[in-house]
Amino acid sequence: MIFMRKNVNIAGYLFIFPFGVIYTLFLIYPIFQGFFISLHDWDILGSKIFVGGKNYNNLLVDPKFWSSLWHTAYFALLTTPVLLALGLGLAMALNKGFRGRDIFRAIFFYPYMLTTSIVAVIWIWLYQPLFGLINFYLNKLGLPAHAWLAEAKWAMPAIAGATIWWTVGFNMILFLAGLQEIPDELHEAAQIDGASSIQRFYCITLPLLRRTVLLATMLQMIASFKVFGQVYIMTGGGPYGTTRVLVQYIYETGFQWYRMGPASAMAYIGFCIMLVFSLIQFKLFTRAD
Amino acid sequence: MSIGDRRVKRLTSLLIWFLTMVVAVIWLIPLIWMLLTSFKHESMAITLPPRWLPIPFTLENYLKVLTDSLIPRWFLNTTIVAFIVTFGVVIIDSLAAYGLARIDFKGKNLVFWVIVSGLMIPDQVLIIPLYFLFNNLNLLNSFPALILPRLALPLGVFILKQFFEGLPLELEEAAQIDGCSRLKMYWYIVMPLSKPAIAAVAVFTFIATWNAFLWPLIVANTEEMYTIPVGIANFQGVHGTEYAMLMAGSMVASLPMLVAFLFLQKQIIKGIAMSGIKG
Repeated sequence: MIFMRKNVNIAGYLFIFPFGVIYTLFLIYPIFQGFFISLHDWDILGSKIFVGGKNYNNLLVDPKFWSSLWHTAYFALLTTPVLLALGLGLAMALNKGFRGRDIFRAIFFYPYMLTTSIVAVIWIWLYQPLFGLINFYLNKLGLPAHAWLAEAKWAMPAIAGATIWWTVGFNMILFLAGLQEIPDELHEAAQIDGASSIQRFYCITLPLLRRTVLLATMLQMIASFKVFGQVYIMTGGGPYGTTRVLVQYIYETGFQWYRMGPASAMAYIGFCIMLVFSLIQFKLFTRAD
Repeated sequence: MSIGDRRVKRLTSLLIWFLTMVVAVIWLIPLIWMLLTSFKHESMAITLPPRWLPIPFTLENYLKVLTDSLIPRWFLNTTIVAFIVTFGVVIIDSLAAYGLARIDFKGKNLVFWVIVSGLMIPDQVLIIPLYFLFNNLNLLNSFPALILPRLALPLGVFILKQFFEGLPLELEEAAQIDGCSRLKMYWYIVMPLSKPAIAAVAVFTFIATWNAFLWPLIVANTEEMYTIPVGIANFQGVHGTEYAMLMAGSMVASLPMLVAFLFLQKQIIKGIAMSGIKG
């Protein structure tokens, strides 16, 4: 019996082993190594001088770092409300009894399948100042044209617009899943009691979707701290650094200016901020199952 | 319900239908515009006012993309990477998940929590140390560099473990009495029963790998090693004003996702909903 037990134990480790090796090498080790690098002056060749917390201290007084955090937050502020409202609206419209429901779902979800670069390339063309569709139709409506991606005021909203087009389908799917958990009986009962559809939305749908709304918010916060591809391709962080988000700054510092220490320190600070959102998200996720 | 009520109800649903329709058209325009632009001569793509229909119609952009650009090569690279990663993740993650779901061993809880914590690690924390790691291994700009770091996916373990735990134990108990080994139970009993969860994990692994941008951008430094996302970004940089060609390139590059979507829409949406991943 004791022998059996031991055998069973070893089997457990063997099943974990392949995952464990790869996970340790490419996730656990880099996390510690990254922190180690953040405590050094470290160039692209890997030559290093220990500097302690200097990289962190420097970041706290680096206006570019603070502005990149602000741009990240600004991106989150521009995208999150629209993604939530539109995602929920589309989910409710397409939840049931809607003619052509599957086709509409496919239309809203398909852009999410595209890779960042393709989304960026399509939208650069739409935003094109002289021949772009957007300026042409704005002009027709009597509205002023803009060099969307080249004007400090418009570059980030333009990136946010492209991102909303890209990912609203994902939010729609999240909300559809949430809506399907609400039992029909609740709505029926309320209807019999004479509740209007607006009352039912505020008193049934919204409270029962609270978890999904919070989850979608947290996921978008996390995604904002990871946003990079669209920015890198559409504006490169410009004009004048007005769209330089956190990951863009990490990339520039590390792989264009070869200052690995500060870049790692930045990644760590960003990670700590994200951790808060991640923990909330994780709590929501585990409670679901 | 009075006739007036019914009329209000019908009007509301008509209004909702109309609004959804408008949003759907807005959502389709970028895709249609990409498609139509890709069939135009370069000079016809930049007319004022813009013309919707590609007249005269041409396939020259596709021809250029397929013969003159590296897009086919990037396509091949991405396909290789995405298939190997997906296959690897399904095997490696399901093995680990089976161990965690079915076998008691010392430190199991700790192992599980270490894996779950990995869910919260963003790529940007890993790229710098990983860059040096692959540099030391002399593997920068190679397939192993594109593949290896993605092979252990904590989310996959998490989802598969939950699913395995929901399966009835009886089959495995019966197999154990017949002297069946753990590995055989995993392969012949649990895996065949877990097709929906495996499909979900495979789908989101494939999509996430196909679309990955940051790590391939850093680790692939010659054009021959680019993946589609990095390649298209580079293509945009090189052919910045050749819009018709850019659109043809994007069309070609998005083809596999379009095909996958047409055939696997249900599984994909389920997989995304299950994983809650966000690009």
